[in-house]
Amino acid sequence: MFSKKHTYAFLLAGIAFLILQGSVIAQQTTVVDSALLQRVDALEQHAADRKPGEDYFMVAGLTTFGFASHTATTNGVKTKSNSIVDGDNYEFSPMLLWRHGQKFLMEFEPSFAGGQLGVNWADISYFATPGVIIRAGYLVLPFGSYSKRLAAGWINKLATDPEGVADQPPLTDYAVEVEGGFQTGTMKWNYDVAIANGMQLNPDGTIQNAGLAPTNNNKNYCGRIGWLPFSNSSLELGLSGMTGKLGDPGSSFQSAKSAMWAVDLNFIQKLSPFQLNIKGQYEVIDINQTDYINPIDSSNYSFSNHSTAGYIMAALRPSFVQNKVLKNLELAARYGNYQTPTNSLWGMKDNSFAIGLNYWISWRTVLHLTYESIRSESTISTNLGGTPGTTTTTNSVYLQFSIQL
Amino acid sequence: MKCFLNNKMSIIVIMTITIASVSALFVGCTASQKITTKSGAQLWAENCQRCHNTPSPSTFSHDQWVTIGMHMQSRALLTDAEREKIVAFLKQ
Repeated sequence: MFSKKHTYAFLLAGIAFLILQGSVIAQQTTVVDSALLQRVDALEQHAADRKPGEDYFMVAGLTTFGFASHTATTNGVKTKSNSIVDGDNYEFSPMLLWRHGQKFLMEFEPSFAGGQLGVNWADISYFATPGVIIRAGYLVLPFGSYSKRLAAGWINKLATDPEGVADQPPLTDYAVEVEGGFQTGTMKWNYDVAIANGMQLNPDGTIQNAGLAPTNNNKNYCGRIGWLPFSNSSLELGLSGMTGKLGDPGSSFQSAKSAMWAVDLNFIQKLSPFQLNIKGQYEVIDINQTDYINPIDSSNYSFSNHSTAGYIMAALRPSFVQNKVLKNLELAARYGNYQTPTNSLWGMKDNSFAIGLNYWISWRTVLHLTYESIRSESTISTNLGGTPGTTTTTNSVYLQFSIQL
Repeated sequence: MKCFLNNKMSIIVIMTITIASVSALFVGCTASQKITTKSGAQLWAENCQRCHNTPSPSTFSHDQWVTIGMHMQSRALLTDAEREKIVAFLKQ
């Protein structure tokens, strides 16, 4: 059908077409490569122009809110109340972290809680050498482990704080602190010591922080030492102490002095398919002053200024099961005991028990469902108008959401 | 301190410490390792969960992890080696 001439012509035409196509593709490729190169050059220039600098500023923080329902029974008389946003446990606390290189860190956490705007801490840390961090400012003092490490709503396993432990003695103060951690063999140790402006003894026997302008030279000395005996850090035992003078020179409280002790425990263990967590703290507050002034009628009254507070908490979570819903559930229970000075105006013996079911929406977001029962027995003396032995039982249910951002 | 040993709570705490210590003796001693021999991932798993759940590395940027590492070192009183290894792992 085709002659040789036709065949050659056809082949030549085909080859010419292929060469032409290749040339067009090559030209297109060159155009694309050129654009890419220009873009890469621009990005490289942009990256070279951008100086990350030594400083870095970020905002983190947390918020906790929810619903609480309370039923209190005193001498057979019941009173009920409930609150949206769970007034006692609502918190909105953005935390500002400002890092200067690898040595300095400024931390500031304003907090809207209990209907008031306050400050949780405002301090600067200097990472001096390995194992030595020096901090100054308004900070949480090293006494026990709860207030400094565990009180945040997204960390706490229950919707409420253990009574007394979270707020007695007052632990946020103007202070200078030195702290650090180190290893000896396969064990770890940590230390945390501070000198603070200190506390003042009120005429009725209560204590409060001296604040920015104390009226005396007194200082508060406190510290905690932590021991992690096992290399997997599964157990930490802490021992804390705090002491300081509490009164102005020349006043009736000039010899008043505090002696406070605390022990704390943290234990984590995998018990497949569960994760077990036990935490606890027990503290003793002693003030050597016994004579005070009744704020109601200015009469003198005496009592032994001795308080104790403690809790033990256990939580169990099936972290190692496959089911995605089940592995995010956690069961927690806590027993607490809080005793304020007998025969004081605020004397009481509280026993509390709380049980809760948590659902972890993410590693830092939790929904707490907590039931808590507190049995409070009055120890206010009859001389002060009290009725020793009167008991009030308060049963509460909390549904609470907490997130760290 | 005078009421320390008379208080029901103190007995519970002491018992718990004893139980936990004995338990840990059986469980914790089986894997004694120095920090220098551990990976960042292992230290992350062991230390973060002492207080809270272990964070996902994707949660924060590199610069943020460096900053948070300093913040957490002062809270949990980690050693410097632990902080450096954990932050290096979280930056990956």
